[in-house]
This record gives sequence, structure tokens and C-alpha cells, in this order.
Amino acid sequence: MRLGVPALVLILLSGAALAHGPTPQKVDQSIVIAAKPDAVWKVVGEFAGIGTWHPDVARSEGSGGNASGGQRKVTLKAGGTLNEGLDEMNAAGRSYSYRLTDPDLKALPVSSYSATLTVSPEGDGARVEWFGRFYRGDTGNEPPDDLNDEAGRTAMNRYFAEGLKGLKAKVEGKAAP
Amino acid sequence: MTGGPVTGRFVLAALLVGLGPALGPGPGAAAARTVYVASQGAGTLVALAADATEAGAPLPVGRSPAQVVAGPEGRLYLTHPDTGTITVVGGADGSIRQTYSVPGQPFGIATSPDGAHLYVGDWAGHRVMRLSARTGALEGAVAVGREPAGLVLDRNGTLYVADRESRQVSVVDARTMTRKATIAVGTGPFALALNPARDRLYVANVRSGDVSVIDTVARRVVATFTVGGMPYGVAVSPDGGRIYVTDQRGGNLVVLDAEDGALRATVPVGRYPEGVAITGQQAYVANWFSDSVSVVDLRSLRETVRIAVPDGPRSLTVVPEDER
Repeated sequence: MRLGVPALVLILLSGAALAHGPTPQKVDQSIVIAAKPDAVWKVVGEFAGIGTWHPDVARSEGSGGNASGGQRKVTLKAGGTLNEGLDEMNAAGRSYSYRLTDPDLKALPVSSYSATLTVSPEGDGARVEWFGRFYRGDTGNEPPDDLNDEAGRTAMNRYFAEGLKGLKAKVEGKAAP
Repeated sequence: MTGGPVTGRFVLAALLVGLGPALGPGPGAAAARTVYVASQGAGTLVALAADATEAGAPLPVGRSPAQVVAGPEGRLYLTHPDTGTITVVGGADGSIRQTYSVPGQPFGIATSPDGAHLYVGDWAGHRVMRLSARTGALEGAVAVGREPAGLVLDRNGTLYVADRESRQVSVVDARTMTRKATIAVGTGPFALALNPARDRLYVANVRSGDVSVIDTVARRVVATFTVGGMPYGVAVSPDGGRIYVTDQRGGNLVVLDAEDGALRATVPVGRYPEGVAITGQQAYVANWFSDSVSVVDLRSLRETVRIAVPDGPRSLTVVPEDER
């Protein structure tokens, strides 16, 4: 789907409004891959290319390029869609930062997040760190169990961990798990 | 201060010394001030003595403290938006003095100079409440913009509120609790800092990645300084010449010239830095993600030590020696 500027602005506005409760949560995953950092970055550094390595992703469609302001629409195999916007692409540093532009509780039980993915040398290989901050799905003070902090932590850490396992398998040339 | 009988008015630090030798300001330390750090994930407050490389023993303060502010006589007030409470730390036994239940989601907080009142933003209620600092009783409220974040009270009784989702700063008469003006700023205003002359208010805008400079007399924006990334905290040097901005995306403390916004330095700190406080020639930065506080020397513009603190530090405050 191509979004005109007005539609995009509306999405950004709706995503920002009431997206933030006052208590942020952490997601923090990393993995070591037996490949040069540049080889890993070649796979993971294309923002809209997450569908080629994340096993939970059915498809990913990009718009706006691989630079700040670029978007990806990530459709999950289990249902739900994540519309994410690229805040910063630092290809020289093998790192990018992005955020959720509008929540979909079917995809992940969180109301907003920002995250960074970084590839750095580790011995003869590479370490990929994928970390970020999110807010639970229901930012009120009486969230139901499936939209509380713990549900968000479980889902986000699982999604990041499974993604990194898929990335490792793809880069190391093994069958996707 | 010493570990002996408590003679100062503020005694939390003294109590922490009693809990262990490496905790709090040590005997004989030339402690000009103590920095207190609230950790939202851990639900604790820790003291960082001057020149210390380790934090004092964590004091449990209840679940999810978001912001901490120092009041007169060394008292500390913490907001807990998730539980709708404010805790008061300090006083004769140096521990939790009181816990107030308050309406809504208390987040930003400021104290009146005489220590009689607390001004507290209600994040989800889009208002600022005035509470009795002594009892926690609600004394009044004023509607502001959506999701009030940082609050700062000028000693002339003017309260400034960063209305995060309304892209404005509300100007409130704290005595009458009436809103006098709104000033349009950047997107996602979160943190505020007044300069020592109180004629400039610096506003860190999370989403537009810049700092709005407000002339507090004219009540309008006179400049916008580009920072980049996600500016979540701001502080001003004691001489008013520099401003210090935490950038959560880059993990940096960004140093700008207060006059023209020129970039003076980008100092790498921990991940997702938020609160920043200045004392003497040092900046203390709370690294929310990294569970640490970076101490940055303001002359060399380098991080000199990184102090581990409990999970999720977002806010810190300085208690000067003369408050004890």
C-alpha cells in the first residue's frame, strides 16, 4: 500500500496520541552469528527486508526508502500487521532505529515501541543486538492480563529472539527454523 | 557530614552510611551534595555521594517511581503513576515518611519554594494538581494540554508544564491555579529547564528532535535548537551558558551553546538516557536502559565514571549540602 502524505500524517498522529503510558518496559535480545558483520548487515540492513529473515513474518512491504522516514508494513503469520517507521539509518555503523507508528494488539500486545538493531564485530563473527523500549498494550492503571507489562515483555522478547534465530539461520546458510 | 550522630536536617544519606561502608557519602567526604536516583523498574531510590563510584544501598520506595524531586529540608518526593501514589522520603528516620494516594496518574512533579505545596501532573487526566506537601490532600487543579510530562516552577510562582501530546507548554499561575497562556513548541515536549536568570525556558521535544527556547517574559519561542534523535532530558549550566540534552536514540549527552544552539559536544553515555542534573562541574545522566548513571565532566566533556544503579533509572535530583 502506498500512503500519501496526508494519510501518513494521520497515522503518525493516531499512533502518537495516547500511545504512551508512564511506565516503559525493556526488550533486549542478542545473538552471535558466524559471519562477518558486513555479511550480516547485507541481510539485516535493508529495513523492509525483515520478511527474508524473521520466521514470524509472512511478508514485509516497504515504502519511502531505506533512510529516515522510510516505512515497512510487516504482516505476521499469526495475524496482525506492524506498521513501522525508520527513524535513523546508520549504514556505516551497521545500525538502525525505528518505531511502531500505530499499534495492532493482534500482532503484539503493546501500544508503542522504539527499537534499535546493531551489528558489531565479535571475535571472527558478528554480534547482533536488538533492543528497545515499549509500553504495555493497555496503558491504564488496571490492564487485563493479556495487555499488562508481563504480557508485553513476553511477546516482545519472544518476537525479537525468534527473529535473531531466523537471521542467524539465514546468514549461516542453514534451513530456517 | 559524618556517620556519627545526625546533626543536619537531611538524614537519609546518613542512614545509608549506617547500612554499609561503601554506601552513601562516606565519613570525611567533602560532600558538597548528593544525587538521588529513582529506578522505575526496581522501585528504589539510591544515593550517589560526591565522587562516589558506587551507589548507596537501595531504599525500596514502592512500585514504579517515575520522577523524583527534592523539596526543602532535604525531603524527596516521588511520583508513582502506576499506583496513583506519591512517596515522601526523608525526615527523622530517613526512610519512607509517608505515602499519599492521589487521583489519576501522577507523573511530573515540582515543589513550592516554601515546601508547603506539591504540583503534580496527572498524565491521563490532562491536568495539574496542587497537593498539600504535608498531607497529600488535593487543594486544587487546573486543566492543561494532553499528557502533561515535565513540570518546572519558577520561584515567582509561575508553573510551566510540558504538554506532551498537545505540542505546547502551559503557563500556570501556581497561586491561583489558573492557566495564563499556552506556548506552541515542537512535537512531543517532555522535559523543561529554566536558566539561572529565569528568562529562558528550554523545552526538550522528543518527537521533533529539538529544543524550543522560550522567552519567559514575552512568553514565546525565540529559537529552536536542533539536537536530533529523541531529546528526553534537559539541564542548564550554572552560568546559563550551556544546555545539556539527553538523546535517547543516540545514547548521548548533547552539549549546546545556550546563546545560539551551536553544538559544543556529543558525549556518549548509556542507552536510553533520560534525566540529567548538573552539580558543580559535573552532569549526572540516568541511563534508563543500561541501569546506570553516567557522570560527565563538564570541562573535558567526557564521561568519567559510570555507576551501576537498580533497574530502570529515569529521574534524578540533587540535594545540596546547605539543605541538610
